[in-house]
Amino acid sequence: MQARDIAVTLPTVTVGDPVAKAVRVMALGRLPGLIVVDDQARPWTVLPGTQVLCLAVPGAYREDPALARTIDEAHADLFWEELGDLTVGDCLPRQPAKPVTVQLDATLLEVAALMARLRSPLVAVVDRDGALVGAITLERLLTNLALSGLGD
Amino acid sequence: MSAVIALMIFSVGFFLIATEKANKVKVVLIAAGAMAVLGLLPGSRVFFSEHEGIDWNVIFLLFGMMIIVGVIKQTGVFDYLAIWAAKRSKGEPYRLMVMLMAITAIASPFLDNVTTIMLVAPVTVVVCNRLRIPAQPYLIAEVLASNIGGAATLIGDPPNIIIGSRAGLTFNDFLLHMAPIVVVVFIGFVLFTRVLFRNAFVYNEEHVAAVMALQERRAITDPRLLTRCLIVLGGVIAGFGLHAVMHIEPSIVALVGAGVMLLVSRADVSDVLREVEWPTLVFFMGLFVMVAGLVHTGVISTIGAWTVAAFGDNHFLAATTLLFGSSALGAFFDNIPYVATMAPVVEGMVAQTPDPQTGQALWWAFALGADFGGNGTAVAASANVVAIGIAARTGHDISFWQFTKYGILVTVLSTFMAWVYIWLRYFI
Repeated sequence: MQARDIAVTLPTVTVGDPVAKAVRVMALGRLPGLIVVDDQARPWTVLPGTQVLCLAVPGAYREDPALARTIDEAHADLFWEELGDLTVGDCLPRQPAKPVTVQLDATLLEVAALMARLRSPLVAVVDRDGALVGAITLERLLTNLALSGLGD
Repeated sequence: MSAVIALMIFSVGFFLIATEKANKVKVVLIAAGAMAVLGLLPGSRVFFSEHEGIDWNVIFLLFGMMIIVGVIKQTGVFDYLAIWAAKRSKGEPYRLMVMLMAITAIASPFLDNVTTIMLVAPVTVVVCNRLRIPAQPYLIAEVLASNIGGAATLIGDPPNIIIGSRAGLTFNDFLLHMAPIVVVVFIGFVLFTRVLFRNAFVYNEEHVAAVMALQERRAITDPRLLTRCLIVLGGVIAGFGLHAVMHIEPSIVALVGAGVMLLVSRADVSDVLREVEWPTLVFFMGLFVMVAGLVHTGVISTIGAWTVAAFGDNHFLAATTLLFGSSALGAFFDNIPYVATMAPVVEGMVAQTPDPQTGQALWWAFALGADFGGNGTAVAASANVVAIGIAARTGHDISFWQFTKYGILVTVLSTFMAWVYIWLRYFI
């Protein structure tokens, strides 16, 4: 099997989208992460779920656990409102990590090895020109591997 | 010829650092390498010469203090203090600003300014958000207070560490000569902020309850760790103070303190080592080698001779020029490379003074100018840049000119007060 055989179409976000929208897309789609695309719909970066959470938690609380502890329960439930109009691009480094991508003809071993090496539960599948054609989630990969094992 | 080449390498390197056209660590490493490879500075001097190579006293003093601060950061004491201050102020803006400035100015002589700002600024933003007031004036006031307070001691500001090591000045020397004027300038600054930020003092009584809901006691989860850290920090400061009696270099005191801190805190060593700013240490090493190239090829001694000839016996004029010149240049360039470059020149000027007191007056004028100049513009000191970064990430953008319009006024005021102090204390 190749990446093209198990790739599916997933919702994506752009760097100009608000962080709140990115969180909503991930939560409603029950996705393990998000693919951020540029204005030509090419993968710009691939964020595992915990990295999307990083966008949503204000840096001050992330970097200083003591400060997070001082926030009372009523305000703690609303921490993400402090993000205001910040966009995905505002919260990412100027040069984010290279997107986690595979070619359409990549084998499942290649996909699995890439996910394991980069600790990413989501891989973007691209064509020869680098355009996004689909995505493979960890769950989908494991399901297909398990099913192919049963077939044997 | 070697002097011309050394000057060219240095000038290009300094230009790239000052204009931030390239990563400053890469610049100093390439420039330092060029100095060594072209034979402008023998390799042995790079590592083993106190005056013409890497000043390991500065490097290890910074390294030791970074480890100590890395452990103290984990205690949550700054979050506790800032929230306690916010509650005590009951949301009254000027009182809040004064208390935050006081915390910053009291901490910055003992912790480096960047760390102080990194600890105080995030909690300041939280308090301002709760009060629905703009955080910018409070952040700017904290940075200015930090740069003023840091001038008080040997370890408060990197330029002081460089000057102390070069001039052989002790921790107590800085306390006796710098701390008095720093206290006076800080009081003047606190009064000045009432006028400076008058438009920012908006009292929102209806939001005070949100601040009172903050739970500062939860910031400190391990009071025993905090107690141990404060005891070790106190011991380190006492060690600096006893430097003249014990004849132990400040860097050794800091390294021993760092070791004891790791031991008593039982902190994960790899976690604490991540707090060490390795790029800063490498930058200092490369910078020292760049300057050493100028010293070894005679550029610095030539500039020193010109300077001595220009001022003649008028040492007050020399001190005045050093103070205002350093303040002006320190406002537009990062004051660390400026001080590293000028320190050997000032050393030459001090050597020509008739008595040690006059010589020291030149060092203090130099230090005060460079330290207070750090407030001049948004890029004059690392703490300014860090605060602006935190402000941007939290949605409270501070523009270059927004910072600079306050910074220049405070720099002019503080430098003038320092000039009066130098004149009254050393030349009358």
